[in-house]
Formats: sequence, structure tokens, C-alpha cells
Amino acid sequence: MRGRRSLLPVWFMLPASVAVTVFFVIPVFMTFVFSFTSMSSDTGILGNRYIVTEATIRELTERGVDADLVKRLGSRVFAFDQAGLAAVGKSGLKPPVVKEIEEKLAGAVFGSEKELFAALKSLKNRPRSFRDRKAVSKAVVNTIVNREFRTATGFRAGLASINVEVDDATFDRLLGLVNTSWSWTTKNYVELLASDFTLKILANTMFYVFFTLIFNVGFALVLALATFYMPSGQSKFFRAVWLIPRISPSVIYVMLWKWFTFDSGFMSYFLGTFGVAPENWLNEYPWTFVIFANGFVGASMGMIIFASAVLAIPRDVLHAAEVDGAYPWQQVRRVILPMMAWPILFVTSYQTLSLLTSFEYILLLTDGGPGFFTTETWALNAYHTALSNYYGNLRYGFGATLAVVLVVVGIALSLLYLRLFDFKALVAEPPIES
Amino acid sequence: MEIRLENFSKSFGPVKVIEDMDLTIGDCEMVALLGPSGCGKTTTLYAVCGIHRVTSGRIWFGDKDVTDLPPQKKNVGVVFQSFALYPHLSVFENIAFPLRIRKDGSAEIERLVKEMAGVLHMEELLDRRPGQLSGGQQQRVALARALVRQPDVLLMDEPLANLDAGLRLEMRSEIRRIQRENGCTSILVTHDQVEAMSMCDRIALMNDGKIQQIGTPDEMYQQPRNRFVAGFIGNPPISFCDGVIQDHRFVTEGLDFDLPDRFEAASITAGQKVTIGVRPEYVRPEFAVPIEGEITFVESQGREVLYDLTLAGGKVFRSIQGGGPKFKIGENVRWGIDIGATFFFDERGNRI
Repeated sequence: MRGRRSLLPVWFMLPASVAVTVFFVIPVFMTFVFSFTSMSSDTGILGNRYIVTEATIRELTERGVDADLVKRLGSRVFAFDQAGLAAVGKSGLKPPVVKEIEEKLAGAVFGSEKELFAALKSLKNRPRSFRDRKAVSKAVVNTIVNREFRTATGFRAGLASINVEVDDATFDRLLGLVNTSWSWTTKNYVELLASDFTLKILANTMFYVFFTLIFNVGFALVLALATFYMPSGQSKFFRAVWLIPRISPSVIYVMLWKWFTFDSGFMSYFLGTFGVAPENWLNEYPWTFVIFANGFVGASMGMIIFASAVLAIPRDVLHAAEVDGAYPWQQVRRVILPMMAWPILFVTSYQTLSLLTSFEYILLLTDGGPGFFTTETWALNAYHTALSNYYGNLRYGFGATLAVVLVVVGIALSLLYLRLFDFKALVAEPPIES
Repeated sequence: MEIRLENFSKSFGPVKVIEDMDLTIGDCEMVALLGPSGCGKTTTLYAVCGIHRVTSGRIWFGDKDVTDLPPQKKNVGVVFQSFALYPHLSVFENIAFPLRIRKDGSAEIERLVKEMAGVLHMEELLDRRPGQLSGGQQQRVALARALVRQPDVLLMDEPLANLDAGLRLEMRSEIRRIQRENGCTSILVTHDQVEAMSMCDRIALMNDGKIQQIGTPDEMYQQPRNRFVAGFIGNPPISFCDGVIQDHRFVTEGLDFDLPDRFEAASITAGQKVTIGVRPEYVRPEFAVPIEGEITFVESQGREVLYDLTLAGGKVFRSIQGGGPKFKIGENVRWGIDIGATFFFDERGNRI
């Protein structure tokens, strides 16, 4: 009995708990973790990666590594050791050539391709074409340039294969210098604070959220109240119409906006009949259309909630307002709106949070443009930084940092709204009816 | 101010709720619209205050035709059945609402609201919200809100229906007192005849969208115009008994008596089917016209006892008698009815 009583709620909560954990807690935690790394598509997300590139070699000299050593790091050694000979065997050369190489050159080591080719030319069954000689060269070459080593031992073996012997101290230093994997860092946060773009994006986000919210909630209220005072058949029709932006696929919805606004689109055509020169209106007034496109989508939700909230107001109360002398506008201002304070607050807070984090319509409409960061909002910027950008270097760590800020702001706003909602009053015992 | 309804009709789509109703309510008079639910009394009230549009006919407040005036332009105070207080406003603001809409000065509003609160004994409630009030307190706030701007007309839609029995008694006299003090013409919609009889100067009894009879409570009780009125007014209700006229006698199974002298041969013919209605207080042992039967039901109401007397043919007469339960169920008795106080109705239910 006791067990049943205590376990049942747990079972009820299990699906929700799993979903919250998998889709919220873990991602948020991992985002927080990633924000303290320098992960990017350059470093990869796996640790310990040692690569010597042409660029590293130039850099090593600048960092004071012995010039001779640096030169040797970039060198190539052509060795007919076991591995080399096996590779020659598989390189597709004619058997007599392979055979003679195995007989004559086994164990030979050359310091450059020129020496290798000279030795090859001295053979009786020599590879005749340059291509064949290149194939031999490719089979027996040892180099560490552009080779990825995952462990320190592997890197040491790589050094050995090009005949570079270094003492332990030098090796460790070298290892540190050629390690291109990610590291733990707080630089992301420093960069965020120092970056010139942070303020720009913050301002964009606040502008976007504020004005879309006003449009959203205001338009939803207008729709709900207008349809409330309409005959029921008409009001159903209008509510259904305003649901279309919400239920149409976002890509198509945005395509329609683009078609509507481009220089040979509907708007230009329509305004053209009044003598206005055609323009790409979306480029001209990107914010206007970003806010409209988002606002119309969001308005439908508010409209549904507000419409049902208006209908939930007892008819008698509105009749009372009527006989007390209030005309529709006064009824709205003095009775309906105050009685809808809760749904308005709810929709406002819900929309703030969803606008802060949603970016698909901006992405599809302007992709943060036109130009540089014109309509780039915080969430869109996080997406661009971490997952998709023009430069091709995806900065997972810095993107995570941007996302962490969003999460923190979101949680802070949620707590604030919960206070505004006065959660305690919601669950308080109802007053006693006598 | 006099209220006058002339040929007032109201339909909702194809459904006719009220047809050709005429009603005049004198200045300072309080009239009850009484009737069973669905008879159109609330519809009439809503039409008078302007919430419902009138389909045809005219409504006059004094000399002014208010038929097409919206409620905002009629100076009417309405108390709704649900009280319809504004839940987001304090009691003070609820009462002040019509004044604020009227754009009275705040000092004036303060004075009027305080005065009204004094009349209704609720000065200490002014800061509360409606949700924190009991039913009776809410009712008083609704009344105060209706009265605060000195309406030409006070309309009340079942104002006591949501109150418990004790409070209902108290509020009955309270509302009547306040209405007299304010001197406003009032309409009270109710389905409770006791409420109507105790509170109002006159009653308009409605059924099926028509006024069956208008009169003082006494007139209604003593001189019902038809069978519906006789049956609706009076508690415990009147007993009806169908019979036929033969040789100037009323005849039915188990009952047979001479018609009273007031019926001349012309007004009532032999073979005519009639229904008699006898109020319970006129069925007692001391009355002359004898009825015999068995007592089938006894209900003591304390001061009085209610009996059902079933005649041989199965007809039932209700009797109310003072002085404790003297008879038992199953007892055969020979009582009488007062033929002078007996109502006769023709086949269509009209009184003859």
C-alpha cells in the first residue's frame, strides 16, 4: 500500500522527467560545458590531435624553435623498409619492377625525392614513366606534414620515421605547439564581453523581441475583441483565417513574404499603380517585414487564448457594464481588459521567451541581413556562429557561450514572470462561499 | 417615472417569446413579473433595460419613447441574478462604476458611494473584492451599484434566487425599504410567488409569453382570472376537480352539489364541462357542501396541518387546518367545501 502510494506519482512523472532530462537538462548542461572550450571545426570535438602543417612550420620558427629542427620536421624521408616495400607491392607497378626494387633497394633510405628517382633510374627494370616513379615515391615516403596523430607516442613514432630524434623536453614543447585540439578556456566569455558585435546583436534582439511582442499581443487582442463583437459565423471565419500563418509551413510562408516584397512582387506592383517606383522592400525595410512575418504567426496563438478568455467573461458582467452606461470601448478598457490581465500576462511572457529563442523566420527571410548583422538576433547569431556560417569555421565553443547567455536570460525572465503571475495566489485556497 | 409597454413583442429568430404585451407600471410602483421559467419574464426585463432589442411595439419611460435607445442611454439600474459584479474592482469601485462612466467628480463619487454604502449597511466592506464577499453581501453591492446613480427605473432579475432562505427573508424587506426610500419605479422578475406577493404593489403573472393577469397580490389570490393564475398563486396550491353541469348542479364522481345562486341559467348550460378550484383553506369540516373521502396524506407544518382528501372517484382535495393533527391517514371523513369561495372555470380555463 505504502509502496503504491509513493511510486505512482513517480511513474506518472517518468515520461516527463525523461523528456525534460534528455531535451532540456542535458543539452543545457552540455552547452554550459562547451561554452568553456575552444571547440570549433578546426579543432574537432575529439581531444588530442597533433598536426604539423606548412603553417605550423612557419609558426614554429617564429616561436623560437631551433631552425634546423624545424627544417627537418618539414622534411621527407623515403625508406624501403618493410612497410615501404609492402606499399610498393600494392602500388600497381609491373611485377618485374617490384621484384627488382625488392632485391636491390631493400633497406635503402633517401633524404629527398631527387635521390630516390636517381636510384630508381639505375635499375634495370626501372619504372619508365614519371607517374610510376611518383607511385614508388608515394609508397615509401615518410612525412609528418599534414598527418594527424592522436597520441604522443604516435607523434614520436612519426618523428622517428623522418629520422628526427629529440630530447624529452624538446619533444614536450613540440607536442604542445603542434596540438591543434580544443582546450578548456574562459576566452569565449572574455571575447563576448569585448566584442563590438555583442552590443549590436543585443540591441537587435531587444528591438526585435520588443516590437514583435507589441505587434503580437496587440494584434491578437484586436483580433480577439473584434471577433468577439462580430456575429458568430463571421468571427469563426476570421479566426480560422488568422490561423493560416501558424499552420502553413514556415518555408512557404516566408517565400510568400519574399514574393510579396521583392521588386517585381505584389507590393511593388500594387504601389506602382500609385506611381511608386518598384523596390526590394524587404531589403529597404528588413525589420518591418521581420516583425510583421513573426507577428502574424505569433498573433494567432494570442488570438485563440484571448478569444476564449473574452468568451469566459460572464455575459451578465458585460450586460451590467452596458446598463451602467459603458459603450463597447469603455467595456473593453474598464471591464474586459482588466478581466483578461492573466491571459495577457501569460501570452506576453510566453511570447517573450519564444521570441528570444526562435529564429527560423528571420533565418529564412533575411538570414540576419541585408548587409552585415542588420537583422541578426542573438539566437540566430548563436546558430550562425556554431552551426552554419559563410566562413566555414564553426565555432562550437563560442556558439555555446552565446546560447548559455540565452538560457540564463530565459530562466531569469521565467522566474520574473512567475513572480508577476503570483504563483502562490494561483494555488491559494478559494475564498469561502457563504 | 411611469413605464409603459405597448404591444411589445420579442422574437429570437423564428421563436416568438413575447407577443403583444401591454403593461403599465405607475410612478414609484414596484411590479413583479411572475411566472414559471421560460415564460419570457427575463426577456421582458432585458428589453426594458435595452440589452435586448425590441422586435415590435413601443416602450415608454414617462413621456419618452425609449424603445430604440441603447442601455447606455437609459437611466436604468439593473440587479442581475448572478449579481454580475466586476471581479477585478473593489466594492467601492464596483458601486462607483456607473458614476465613473458618467464622469462624475471624484468628491461627488466618494460622497454618493459612501451614502449608498450607509443605506445598505456595508461601509466596512468597501475595500474588499467581490470574491471576498458572501452571497448576501454581493447582493447588496449589486443593489447599491444599481441605485447609486438614482435610476429612473430599477430592474431586478431574480435578485434573491442565489441567497439562502434566511437571507432571502431579510433582503426581501430590505429591498422593499430601499425601493420606497428611493422612490424609483421597479420591476422585479421572479418565479417565487411569495417573493412577488410580499415585495410588490402589483403582480403581472406571465405564462407562454403572455400576461395572464395583472393585479395586487390580494386580487390575484381572491379573483384569479383563469385556471393558470389560480393554480400558480397560492401555497399550498389550489385543488382542481373536473365535472359536468346537470340540472344546475355540479356533478362528478364522489361529489355533487347545487350551483350557487350567482349562476343564472344563461351563463352556464347543462352538459357543460367545468372545472372547480378550491383553495385548501376552504376544505374543512365546518363548511356546508359535503365531501366524503379518505385521508391519504398528512403533513404537519407546525401551526397548520395539510391533508389530502381522496374522494371515492379518485379526485383529490387539499385541506389546510389549524390546531394540530386531528386526523390520521386512512381515516374516512365527511368534510365540506365553501361554495362561495370556489372558482369555476370553463373548458378553456377561463373563470366563469
